[in-house]
Amino acid sequence: MTMTRTLTSVSGRTAAPSWQRISTGDHAVAVAQRDALGTTARLAVWPPENADAAMAAVDDVLAALDQQASRFRTDSEISWLHRRSGGLFMLSDGLAEAVSVALAAARWTGGLTDPTVGSALIALGYDRDFAAIDPERRDPPPAPAPAPGWQTVRLDGPLLRLPAGVRLDLGATAKGLGSDRAARAALAAAGQVGGLLISLGGDIATAGIPPRDGWPILAADAPDRAGGPDRAGGPAAARGPGPAGASRAQLVRLPRGAVATSSIICRNWRRAGRLLHHIVDPRTGLPAGGPWQTVSVGAITCADANAAATAAIIAGDQAVAWLGSAGLPARLVAHDGEVRYVGGWPAEDGGRLQVPAGSHVYTGWGPRGGARPRALPTGAPPCVMPEACEEAPSSEAPIREARK
Amino acid sequence: MNSDREYRAGQVPLPGFGDGAPNDWAPGDRGPGDRGPGGQPAPARQDGIRHARRMSNWTLAALIAGTGAATVALAHHAFPSATTTAGTSATAAVPGQATTVNGASGPQVAHSVASTSPSGVTTTTTTHIVNGKTVVTHVRHVPAYHDN
Repeated sequence: MTMTRTLTSVSGRTAAPSWQRISTGDHAVAVAQRDALGTTARLAVWPPENADAAMAAVDDVLAALDQQASRFRTDSEISWLHRRSGGLFMLSDGLAEAVSVALAAARWTGGLTDPTVGSALIALGYDRDFAAIDPERRDPPPAPAPAPGWQTVRLDGPLLRLPAGVRLDLGATAKGLGSDRAARAALAAAGQVGGLLISLGGDIATAGIPPRDGWPILAADAPDRAGGPDRAGGPAAARGPGPAGASRAQLVRLPRGAVATSSIICRNWRRAGRLLHHIVDPRTGLPAGGPWQTVSVGAITCADANAAATAAIIAGDQAVAWLGSAGLPARLVAHDGEVRYVGGWPAEDGGRLQVPAGSHVYTGWGPRGGARPRALPTGAPPCVMPEACEEAPSSEAPIREARK
Repeated sequence: MNSDREYRAGQVPLPGFGDGAPNDWAPGDRGPGDRGPGGQPAPARQDGIRHARRMSNWTLAALIAGTGAATVALAHHAFPSATTTAGTSATAAVPGQATTVNGASGPQVAHSVASTSPSGVTTTTTTHIVNGKTVVTHVRHVPAYHDN
């Protein structure tokens, strides 16, 4: 593994890594890329002269999100919560929004995604930034246990009640939320002129006016070995099959909304001879099984798409039915490379990926960097699995009772 | 808390009005001092009120027209005409929450600009406390990637 130190900063404020301009062959759109959140951030913006303002805005959003929600930074707000071993906390607006989106996603997916899987991930060995994990650890993990459950976490505006021993992992929604925030902030910085696309590790949000026929995006089943998830840039004819065993990447055009991908073929490691990965089924505390290795989902916000893609991996055999009930277009790739399209995801190369209006987890109307939550988990978001949601208690009720 | 809900849910009479006050009000009703001999409204005052109403209507119409014109002007500035070539629709500024705007469109883009794919790992972030200060270090590396 080649390692190169790229940045060190002092006093808790992290200088943003520099953006690298990328030529895609289209001069009407400026494309740039940088490292962010342990993966790659990519920005495409038109008119190109808006790029500098947009990049600065994205930098601010990503730095704020990292400071709020990174499990791997000892100085992050969420790490501070975890060191307190439970209690009632007043969160920053940004973290409160991130937690509220995670809880809304849990409610919407009937608990398929669950922010309380943090302890299960740590038990499996994902207790540090992924690249620092020993890929061949010999000692076996402790006996798995189901996640405590998202219903045990209470959030009322910025007030969070976290039971002792519960550790949050916002991985099912945080990257998508970051893309949504960054897209909104970048367009605001560009004076609401033109349009842009932001990708965080392959979770893509758009804002403003899209190119004619939509933003051209590759839906791929495996990351580029050389440089993270974004290997886009070539015309359709230049694309070939991915790594061995992966199916061919597909070009789609996104006129609005977002698209995100979850997969078990990245971020995996071995422990006691067993292959583990980072998508944990909260019902078992173990890495999710099931027939799908990669799922891409389109939705109106990237937080929705991120949560739905992760939920589909965990849902396994039920994924197609779940996505159908959610009304979301999706592309599911099985372990044998077979690709299945559902919910209107275009089967042909270059097809338009139309996403339905209406977010289930994130309204996206707050100010940059994290607003006072507008989509609280007990609010309006409809539940795709009513039988699971009806049993869930209101997560605001206990705090309100305590206030009386 | 319960008393708050009851207060909001019930009808709250405004000071000086009886329980049925909102329903009893009618446009022609006036106070006793506004009526002329025989209980009819004073003619001069009646004319004045009609005049004021006519003026209000004109003002309202002017406001509507002005708002419309301002909206058109703002939209014209928001969407650059240089790139509004042959497009038929476009989306407005808020991410995801798009509003169709006829006649505006972005440029033609032939090449893919991003990939939605499994997220590889490209950097490691670590933090240390050194002399009371937090040191944040990013380390770039080739993604740790395994085929199943």
